[in-house]
Amino acid sequence: MIEIDSIAKTYDGIKAVDGVSMTVETGTITVIVGTSGSGKTTLLRMINRLEEPTSGEVRINGASTLSVKPHILRRRIGYAIQGHGLFPHYTVARNIGAVPELLNWSHDKIRARVDELLELFSMEPAQFRDRYPAELSGGQQQRVGVARALASRPDLLLMDEPFGALDPIIRTRAQEDLRRIQQRLGSTIMLVTHDMEEAIRLGDRIAVMDGGKLVQHGTPAEIISRPATDFVANMVGDVERPLRLLSLIPLSEVVEDGDAPGDALSPEASLRDALSACLWTGRTAVPIVQGGTHLGRVTLGAIRARAEAHE
Amino acid sequence: MKAGTIVSAPGLLFGAFGLAALLTPFMTLAANRIVAGDGIMAWNLAEPSAVLPGLAAVLLGLALGLPADLTKVRLAGSVLGLAGLLWLAVQGAPALLDGAGEYARVSPATGFWFLLVILMLLMADALAAMSPGPLMRGAVLAAVLGVLAVILWSGALSDLSVLKEYASRRDAFGRELLRHLGLAFGSVAAAAVIGFPLGVLCHRRARLGGAILPVLSFLQTIPSLAMFGLMIPILGWVGNTVPGAQAIGIAGIGFAPAYLALVLYSLLPVVGNTGAGLAAAPPAALEAARGMGMTPGQRLLRVELPLGLPIILTGLRIVLVQNIGLAVIAGLIGGGGFGTFVFQGLNQTATDLILLGALPTVALALASAIVMDILVDLTRRIPKVSP
Amino acid sequence: MGSRIFTAATVAGLSAMIAYAASADITVSSKIDTEGGLLGNVIALALEDAGLPVERRLQLGGTQVVRQALLANQIDIYPEYTGNAAFFFNEADSDVWKDADAAHARAAELDAAQNNIIWLDPAPANNTWAIAVTGPVAQDNSLITMSDFGVWVASGGEVKLAASTEFVSSPSVLPAMQDTYGFALSPDQTVILSGGDTAATIQAAARGTSGVNAAMVYGTDGGVGATGLVVMVDDKGVQPVYEPTPIMRADVLKEYPTIPDILNPIFAGLDMATLQKLNGRIQVGGEPAEAVARDYLTQIGVLD
Repeated sequence: MIEIDSIAKTYDGIKAVDGVSMTVETGTITVIVGTSGSGKTTLLRMINRLEEPTSGEVRINGASTLSVKPHILRRRIGYAIQGHGLFPHYTVARNIGAVPELLNWSHDKIRARVDELLELFSMEPAQFRDRYPAELSGGQQQRVGVARALASRPDLLLMDEPFGALDPIIRTRAQEDLRRIQQRLGSTIMLVTHDMEEAIRLGDRIAVMDGGKLVQHGTPAEIISRPATDFVANMVGDVERPLRLLSLIPLSEVVEDGDAPGDALSPEASLRDALSACLWTGRTAVPIVQGGTHLGRVTLGAIRARAEAHE
Repeated sequence: MKAGTIVSAPGLLFGAFGLAALLTPFMTLAANRIVAGDGIMAWNLAEPSAVLPGLAAVLLGLALGLPADLTKVRLAGSVLGLAGLLWLAVQGAPALLDGAGEYARVSPATGFWFLLVILMLLMADALAAMSPGPLMRGAVLAAVLGVLAVILWSGALSDLSVLKEYASRRDAFGRELLRHLGLAFGSVAAAAVIGFPLGVLCHRRARLGGAILPVLSFLQTIPSLAMFGLMIPILGWVGNTVPGAQAIGIAGIGFAPAYLALVLYSLLPVVGNTGAGLAAAPPAALEAARGMGMTPGQRLLRVELPLGLPIILTGLRIVLVQNIGLAVIAGLIGGGGFGTFVFQGLNQTATDLILLGALPTVALALASAIVMDILVDLTRRIPKVSP
Repeated sequence: MGSRIFTAATVAGLSAMIAYAASADITVSSKIDTEGGLLGNVIALALEDAGLPVERRLQLGGTQVVRQALLANQIDIYPEYTGNAAFFFNEADSDVWKDADAAHARAAELDAAQNNIIWLDPAPANNTWAIAVTGPVAQDNSLITMSDFGVWVASGGEVKLAASTEFVSSPSVLPAMQDTYGFALSPDQTVILSGGDTAATIQAAARGTSGVNAAMVYGTDGGVGATGLVVMVDDKGVQPVYEPTPIMRADVLKEYPTIPDILNPIFAGLDMATLQKLNGRIQVGGEPAEAVARDYLTQIGVLD
């Protein structure tokens, strides 16, 4: 559990972060979202003391981050940044093994961990271990960057706009990958982004920052349905609001018996996917199939009803 | 058909210049070591039967330098041409000296030197076309130096005036060689020891860099004679006032002032290139290094230095080649080194004594440049990839 | 107790330094030219043979470097020329420099008073600008002095002089000679070689290039020795006299008072002909200066 206790950062009289307090539960993804200058990156960087707080404290599992030297602290916190920052003169294996090397892990242990992570990120170890970053595609580089951040099994993973440099198609893949890996590893992740869609897609909790202050901290559904301020509402966007809400709800929640024509969707797909399919193919319902078994159908009417209810 | 594709353009150039060089005097014969001699053309060096093989080898070598696609043939041509040059010199020197008087001296003249340069360029061009890796280049350099050593050792060229100068001052040459190496390499070592940490500091603290770099730049602009001259009273004062200084050799004249001047001239390139090398590391990589928990020292050793090493070593290369040449001036203030022969030769108007100082300096500088370039290449950690 | 140890240590340290200074070697130096190499080695070998501790700093540099080094106590003794004192003490216009003995006396006087530098006895050889003629010409016309030369030229002697621009045009050199010795060389009788290179003028005379049979030389040039040219003696003293003389720091003389006894007899024997020959072996023959110096000292019985 990460406790952020009235943390503040002032530069030359300007409050970049103004008394932010929140709690991050272990094993969750918290997305900090805001426009540029909102203090979101500064907040993130105060957790691993790349910026020192002017006042306030951060506690990880009860221990204050001020109680150890910064570089020791950072070896227990994963850090992935936009532009990945891979060492161009290290192979992929040596890049991923960088923090374990700092922690004096044995050679074999490091090698095993590197292979494990490469497999997890769907990169064949034999093929990728000895490549250099310059020989990788953008998406592969980003994955290695995240793998590097996870190598030492840190308590916490901090990510600063990690998908910003990727093109949209790969970005979606990467976001799904992150979700999948987080569920696999049970990692606690704090991620900074300016993209509300990304926040809603990834976050178990979303923290909205504006002008250095924490404006709202809640589940995606809360942020969408009950924005605390106009600013939050604007970030969600009037037009996008219902669609964003629908994207949070899996089809399994509104499936009913019956059949429908056309291509089927999986029950894990969202109501938004079903809405999109109906609109595009001119249907009023879509069939739901899982692993070959026909589960039922979802109708436009059900979707509309759910959206109206916006809870 | 375009000439450029059948005939190598440089080869054509070398061939043309080589022919022109043959039409200038190949060697000179002088009555003694202090007067200018008369030029002798290549075909007049000795009996035709002795000269012809050498001339043929040179001409054939130049001709073999022409085909554009056959780099091995061009290389062979350069070797053949150089062998021909050697032959002519070995045949010509004793033949010219025969009956020329007790003090007569024979030296290579413009024809020889031009052809030497042209054939070495031909060789370098052919080698470059083979894209040798750093280790290969090292092997080639070792081979060339080895051949040179064998030629000199065998005494085949001992009739040449410059080698006669060497013969009558063998011990002094050995002493001054060591002195020169000490001045050149020693000053570079000192500059590295002082300059690396200084460069790291200046890189870390911009204000310090802003104060120090202009001072070092100013030092570079002081003319070398003036700098060496300045050292004399300064170090003389230190030698006289600081107890023990004179015992370890600090004095206004001799090795110490020359050494100090060379170190001062070396600081700017070393400090500047260290800073540039450190700045070459990608900022994202440095941010990641910091964020993952590396101490500043670990960042320096694991990220900044390995990535910046080629640039830093280039700074050393610049300084080494610079100091090998600059150390010649030490001869003016009793500092020893090859400059001793250069200035004694100037004073006695004995050109070949000047060459005894100048030629080893040039050879040393060339060899050092090649070796340092090889080292720079070896330290390039980032493999070059095609996208 | 602590202060006693401290005093003892200081005294020990100081005595060590003084003792070190007292037993210091004599630093022998010389200029970087041929004659500097010869005379520097002569001095070093002679002092060493007499059992004195010698450190060599030979062929250090030009006049300025060596002189400054002596004044800064970096070196202890080196061979200087009497005529140069005119420039050290800014008395170039005085006529005292044209007489060998007066020049030496004046130099010794000024340096002893102002710089604590002692001038030992000079060598009787004048290494100044002079005219030399080929051996046959000297012999056929019985030319020994500049007066002889002047008379010979004035009475129609066939002369062609190779000289530098400076030699011919500087008022204190050839014009002064012509005035004093009553001759005048026409443009046909001079061959100008630019740059004061006596090696080239000597070569021209020795070979008779363009009919040259006289050359501008320095009195003890090695080239003269090797080619058999004869230097015309400046009997009326037109040129300043440059006699090589060992000069040394007074402190060193006090410590090693035998130095004059060793060097004066040797320098007394270094007349013009001897220096020409020895310089010739070094400059033309290419022998190393040390070998030539050692050989000479062995010949005259100083070294065994």
